[in-house]
Amino acid sequence: MKPIRIALTKGRLEQDSVQMFQQLGYDCTALREKGRKLIFPVGNANMEIVLAKAADVVTYVENGVCDIGVVGKDTIMEMGGTFYEVADLGFGKCRFALAVPMGVDFYKGYHTRRIASKYVNVSRSFFEKKEMDVEIVKIEGSVELAPILGLSDAIVDIVETGTTLKENGLIIQEFLGEISARLIVNIASLKLRKEEIDTFISKIEHYLGTEV
Amino acid sequence: MKYYDKITPDGTKDLLFDECVLRSKVTQTLTEMFRSRGYRQVITPVIEFYDVFGKSAYFPPENMYKLMDNSGRLMVLRPDCTIPIVRLMATRLKNIPMPVRLYYCHNVYRVSHDMRGKSNEIYQTGVELIGSSSLHSDLEIVELAASGLSEISGDKYRIELCHIGYFKSLIDSLDTDDDTKEEIRCNVEQKNYAALNDLLEQFNESPAATALKYLPRLFGGEEVFAKAYELFSSNGAADSLDYLRSIYESLRELGLADRVIIDLGLVNQAEYYTGIIFRGYFSGLGEPVLSGGRYDNLISDFGLPIPAIGFAFNVDLATEKSRGMALEGQAPDILVFSVEERLPEAINYIKTLTQNGLTVENCVLDDYDQAVAYAKKRGISQIHVMDEEIEIIQLGEGQGR
Repeated sequence: MKPIRIALTKGRLEQDSVQMFQQLGYDCTALREKGRKLIFPVGNANMEIVLAKAADVVTYVENGVCDIGVVGKDTIMEMGGTFYEVADLGFGKCRFALAVPMGVDFYKGYHTRRIASKYVNVSRSFFEKKEMDVEIVKIEGSVELAPILGLSDAIVDIVETGTTLKENGLIIQEFLGEISARLIVNIASLKLRKEEIDTFISKIEHYLGTEV
Repeated sequence: MKYYDKITPDGTKDLLFDECVLRSKVTQTLTEMFRSRGYRQVITPVIEFYDVFGKSAYFPPENMYKLMDNSGRLMVLRPDCTIPIVRLMATRLKNIPMPVRLYYCHNVYRVSHDMRGKSNEIYQTGVELIGSSSLHSDLEIVELAASGLSEISGDKYRIELCHIGYFKSLIDSLDTDDDTKEEIRCNVEQKNYAALNDLLEQFNESPAATALKYLPRLFGGEEVFAKAYELFSSNGAADSLDYLRSIYESLRELGLADRVIIDLGLVNQAEYYTGIIFRGYFSGLGEPVLSGGRYDNLISDFGLPIPAIGFAFNVDLATEKSRGMALEGQAPDILVFSVEERLPEAINYIKTLTQNGLTVENCVLDDYDQAVAYAKKRGISQIHVMDEEIEIIQLGEGQGR
């Protein structure tokens, strides 16, 4: 039987996931000596791990080339897609926030606001719900720069502590939603390999204390 | 100005040679089975008026290709095969003796996310059994789907089965607004346990809410039924479970117990379907290769209350799976080369050969050496030269290719 393939989001989520897997008894030593490899076997289970960028985790799982993925809710909200989102892993916590330059009343006046964000779909649906027409500009990194340079009236971004915002003269206007790492599963995989995946999910739920 | 004259539109592709052979084979396997069970083919236009699809909420406008006719009326490329058949039933076929068995082989067109590995042009073949809501017809259709899956994949398939009535009984027992109900449905569909729990918190420990929390986990084998009865059996839920169970029992008698998964959390398109819903999976494919269900209200949207059930195969996906199927040799058996004076004779000779089941190409080059070179490149092993008499030249195995 082919190993169950798990895609982890590179970086912080990867470290937290590996730590969780280790505590669940999965041997992830292969991940410590990475070298140039891209696929890492789990020592004591019929599983293997691949590392990918957040958006690619969703793409791999949606297309079924990976059975399971660990990815932030921010990426899920931005990309959408068809898969099962079976657990909130509790780590990688932060929030989506609308931030504006200090001292500016965001809702005052009639002009159309311009919003800078890396998360254009999240921003669009947020303002749609508010029944506000806004102009959205996609910025790839350091979104705080956009209002400072005068490109936008506000930004939508993920915020952990708010320090970066403060240092750049921005304050949080409101929160759009909570973010944390999620466990996602391909729909066909869950049906075709129920036993193995169920076992894995139950272990995680037991660990998180969320079993039903 | 940029010309898009050398590429195909996003989400579409050209199919060449073996890909076409495979697709035809898979289609033929399925349609022959449909025909042998009394299904008759219909072909509907690829363009339909927008209103045919736009009147229902099942097909969001942003996912349809739209165009306009000469009178400025909005048209779409059909995103689905069932609705046009429903239109047909409510109009030209409204007096046909029921039940009616129909099948189709059609492309459908859906605008999907760019660059996510999805096709926008999907070749489907499927059936509709219209005018009966009996157990007989449900079983016939599910079994036909299973036979089709098995015919293409051998034993490497699963079919999952649900009755939307169970979910409807649960959700109707909750005292809440439609938006919240829809949110609950989405979270059940996505098996989003965490969000579902939070959302159902407000209903305290009402039996329906407790059952809904557990609903995404209600999938597996026979054991699912016991758990489902225990969780909730009022408000019609038990009837749906009884019904689903009798279908399951029949499928088991047919030796399909290992192939069938019950998933009571299969609640996508809950508005479209009214009874059983099912999907088929092949191992190694990340998305369903078949989907179907009972849609008793769809035809009444067009003014005629007739029950119906059907399913559609995604032939492109099914073909991907059967890529291993043995193919007949792609090269013709014989190349017939003829001198100019004997062309009509050569044509007759080719006809005789093909009548014996051979694949024969007519050589259109006028030089014999060129003909040999061509045959070698093309992988043809025999040249028949038509002159005073017919000379047969063997080019030998493996040459040219």
